[in-house]
Amino acid sequence: MKGYILKRILRSIISVFIVVSIVITMIFTLIPRTKLLDNDQAYKKLTGDTKTAYRLNMYQKLGYLHFARIGEICAESEDPAGCQVNGSEAQKAALKEFEEKDYVIEYFRNKTPYATHDYTIPELIFHFWGNLIKIDNKNFVQKNYIDTGVISTDIEKKYYIGKDDNNFPAILCSGCEYKYQLYFGHGFPFIHQNKIRLNFGISYPTKSGMSTLTVINEGQGSQKAFMQTFPTGLQQESPLKQMTAKFKPNIDHLDSTRFTDNYADCESYYESPSMVNTSYIFGIISLIIAYALGLPAGMGMARNKGGFWDKIGVAFINFIIALPSLALIFFVRQIGATLFGLPDKFPMLGFNNVKSYLAPLFILSLLSLPGLMTWTRRYMIDQSNADYVKFAKAKGLSQREIFTKHILKNAIIPIVNGIPGSIILCISGAFITESAFAIPGMGKMLPDSINKMNNNMVITLAFIFAALSIFSVLLGDLLMTVVDPRIQLQARGGKK
Amino acid sequence: MSEKNIILSVKDLEVKFKVRDRVLTAIRNVSLDFEEGKVVAIVGESGSGKSVFTKTFTGMLEVNGEVSNGEIWFEGENLLELKKDSDWEKIRGKKIATVFQDPMTSLNPVRTIGYQISEVIMKHQGKSKAEAKQEAIELMDKVGIKDPERRYDEYPFQYSGGMRQRIVIAIALACRPKILICDEPTTALDVTIQAQIIHLIKQLADEYKFTTIYITHDLGVVANVADYVAVMYAGQIIEYGTVEDIFYDSKHPYTWGLLSSLPQLGLKGEELFAIRGTPPSLFEEIKGDAFAPRSNYSLKIDFEQEPPIFNVSETHWAKTWLLDPRAPKIDPPSVIKTLHERMLDMTKKGGVYGDR
Repeated sequence: MKGYILKRILRSIISVFIVVSIVITMIFTLIPRTKLLDNDQAYKKLTGDTKTAYRLNMYQKLGYLHFARIGEICAESEDPAGCQVNGSEAQKAALKEFEEKDYVIEYFRNKTPYATHDYTIPELIFHFWGNLIKIDNKNFVQKNYIDTGVISTDIEKKYYIGKDDNNFPAILCSGCEYKYQLYFGHGFPFIHQNKIRLNFGISYPTKSGMSTLTVINEGQGSQKAFMQTFPTGLQQESPLKQMTAKFKPNIDHLDSTRFTDNYADCESYYESPSMVNTSYIFGIISLIIAYALGLPAGMGMARNKGGFWDKIGVAFINFIIALPSLALIFFVRQIGATLFGLPDKFPMLGFNNVKSYLAPLFILSLLSLPGLMTWTRRYMIDQSNADYVKFAKAKGLSQREIFTKHILKNAIIPIVNGIPGSIILCISGAFITESAFAIPGMGKMLPDSINKMNNNMVITLAFIFAALSIFSVLLGDLLMTVVDPRIQLQARGGKK
Repeated sequence: MSEKNIILSVKDLEVKFKVRDRVLTAIRNVSLDFEEGKVVAIVGESGSGKSVFTKTFTGMLEVNGEVSNGEIWFEGENLLELKKDSDWEKIRGKKIATVFQDPMTSLNPVRTIGYQISEVIMKHQGKSKAEAKQEAIELMDKVGIKDPERRYDEYPFQYSGGMRQRIVIAIALACRPKILICDEPTTALDVTIQAQIIHLIKQLADEYKFTTIYITHDLGVVANVADYVAVMYAGQIIEYGTVEDIFYDSKHPYTWGLLSSLPQLGLKGEELFAIRGTPPSLFEEIKGDAFAPRSNYSLKIDFEQEPPIFNVSETHWAKTWLLDPRAPKIDPPSVIKTLHERMLDMTKKGGVYGDR
């Protein structure tokens, strides 16, 4: 069993690797990069060499190529000063070296050369995976700020056990990028860490410069301040999340009134949940409603197959399936707005009003109900024709006992398999419903970022969805072993 | 012969099935008495109504089936007057138990063996979980499961086919039923296991004193275990008698055909006998003797009028015009006449027939 799970996880990782690598290849080779800057207002205003430099700089930021300016070209030259002079022998030699390294040499209008190297597909893939996982370490500040000359003061490099802002014990670090490496409490899942972080690059052109994960993870709306005590003892209404304190090379006066060290760069609390959480709230609640209604309904229909309620149920299923979901969404939205006074756009009343949730939740549950009912009913009916049911009847068990003790346990197996998937994939959001109600969730993220050519975001989402899908399948299989004794997951057949 | 002690009495039973707007008569006016403690085998080809006949005893007809006429008397009660499922539950499993053909699918695959046995004990005998477990383990031991304590918590897939059939029998016997219906209990098992299961049922019948009704088309099994044999054809019992009556002095041409087509009894070098034609369609009304079109011995009257029951002896009757005094004397085929010698001959080579 353990061996099997390890193997499955390994295979899952390989699958994610392959899928994301294909997505990366497609995005970087098939999408014309010239269009990337079409909507960049700053770029439009520029002219001449600065425009070229801005463009190439942006391409470098987005991971298309490596852009070497004269400074870098001459960095390794034997005669750095001579190399800086356009047309000199030293420069020619340096350029030649870059040409050999597969760089293309071009010239600005002022005859200054620059070199670009378009990353090949293996390089692109290697860069993505190489930069994906960032492990914080106590030499971070030394390497990134002290060695590069950003700050001159030295910093102690150590890990230590201290207290967080709730006075719980926490593992802290000096010299790392993040001060709090491991801490407890502070909401679900109650154990938090800043040691290992995923890095998918930056979002562009929307939310330009922000890490893609932050875009989907950070709260939305206005910042939410509350009374808190800072390490200096200052008590203040502030939205800062102290536990996310990052090293800030240059602290200002405001920072120094709150923090005793350079770790002052904090994320904030917001009034509204992040995109992921928004979708998740809607997804999970509607899922619970759908299962709470769909499973009993499907079972009841199977028990009274051909009866009145079964016919009503089948009619309902057919109606919902036949009705285009778009029609249903707008229909329900309209009814909610005119008859029950519900808002037809989510932001009208916002996150803190129950009314905002009713119509979308009703729609989302209604949409997943027919499938769930159909399958439950089908599995139950399938099982009720099995021989063991006949034998159970011959044993003298009542219809009810046969249903609850025998059929249900068999019929639930395929349903259980799908549950982790449904739960986890709530995160992907519901595109149409979210658009119709203008809910700021994940549903619109993927189409939006494809439209706006926010390549890093597309890759980020592809990675998240691929990983979650694959692992939810694995989780579903593991869950099946719990309900079905016949299934034993084994790396290799034969022994137990 | 002593006073007959009838445990189950079927009178003029008629069963109809609705199949896509057409009505099929599966059982046509069958009357039969079952003697307590005896083993009755019901034989006949597929579709002759053997299973349907016994299903009416426990109210287990498919939803499209219906008993249109007749009475089934059991312990002073006409079972066909039971309408509610809860009334049937007092009969099913508790008084009349059934063992089905396929042990591979008779058990719930996701419940433990122990659960499936003790469930019945708890339900019908009102025992506690611990008592039921104790009794279930005893039963498992009785039906020949080794190490029953350990195997109590195992699942059906961990049992072989023969073992599962033993469990099915244990479940059927869990409530000490008066009647055990074995619906082709060995068909799905391989030959070596078949003999063990038959032997087990026989041994348990002696111990628990229940009446056994076998449904089978394996005449070898019949010869081995049955006291009485009822031969069914096209929804009717066409011949009934003790096992000796049927094997050595059968009167109905269909019984002759059935016996002649036993592969084990075929003569070397001779082509194996097969009854020609196919059974009549039960959707239409059958005129005369249902077997007449396939019989080599049919008389003119066979096509016109249904034969009545002719008593051959106190224990033996058959429905064929050949027994009418006015009918011409017809000798049964030679294969049948020498059956006894050949069966004895066979047992000399190691068969089971002589064990009786």
